[in-house]
Amino acid sequence: MRYVKWTFRILLVALVFGFIHYTLPQSDIVRVVNTYEERQELNDWTRIFWSKPDDQSATLANRDVQFIQGVKANGKPMVYRNEDTGWSWPPYFKFDTANLYTEANDAVSTKESPQWYAVTHYGWRNEILSIFPNAVGIKPVAGPDVRIIPWVSITILVIFAFVLLMIWRMWRQFRERSIDPVLEDVSEASDAARDRARGFWARVTGWLGSWRSKPRR
Amino acid sequence: MFGALRLIVFGFLFLSVVYFVVSIYSRSVRREKLEKEWDQEVKSGDRDAYVTVGMKAYDKSLRKRLIWLVFVVPVVVFAAIFYLTNYA
Repeated sequence: MRYVKWTFRILLVALVFGFIHYTLPQSDIVRVVNTYEERQELNDWTRIFWSKPDDQSATLANRDVQFIQGVKANGKPMVYRNEDTGWSWPPYFKFDTANLYTEANDAVSTKESPQWYAVTHYGWRNEILSIFPNAVGIKPVAGPDVRIIPWVSITILVIFAFVLLMIWRMWRQFRERSIDPVLEDVSEASDAARDRARGFWARVTGWLGSWRSKPRR
Repeated sequence: MFGALRLIVFGFLFLSVVYFVVSIYSRSVRREKLEKEWDQEVKSGDRDAYVTVGMKAYDKSLRKRLIWLVFVVPVVVFAAIFYLTNYA
């Protein structure tokens, strides 16, 4: 039972962490080398990693997607997709795909005279699943070693922690003011009814008692 | 534009739920504070009357009105994100 519990907890933490890591913006510093468009099949489960633009029919099985190819300072390639997020999740409200494509084309530079750009994106690159992070912004930086502090992610995580804390405090307040007094009434009633050990209320209070916190194993 | 409509409707419903939950929590915290004040400091007169007067004052307070920020802040954040993503 203990292993089941811990497996469940670890899975839950991994799921939440993965979700946050996928959704929050990240920046890479790359040299943009090319852009291209390619028709993508959208009819398998990896559909969840592609955007759902507003003006697209829900039954569409494939469509053209724009890509931005970059090379990092260490020579590793990085490929981004360039898609509207529209009004749906994640809430970047990106509608300027065509503009970003133009900026990326304008940013192309050669190996001999590289120009470095910080590409803000969310999502993951996975070669096996053929999924790509979605670029949301591109801006020139001084060099490949510029340090970018992720203020947006820090702010969002702080707000997220604050919301969790408030939910916990609200739950505690609710329990203290609304549930505990009722349980106290019930336990007083059960004292009175102790004689009728097998009576109806004794069984109900026994059942209610089983909901209260037990000492941890 | 269907997506925008969906976001507005569901966003409004969600924020309404948040508004009511926060309102209930804030009232409850204030009521508890008043009860404890009476128990520890006032200790004279009618306890319920003391709490009722305190809650009437709370209903007119700035703190209660600030809960409307639940609706204001997300809209401002939305506008900021929208501008930064598409026009900055």
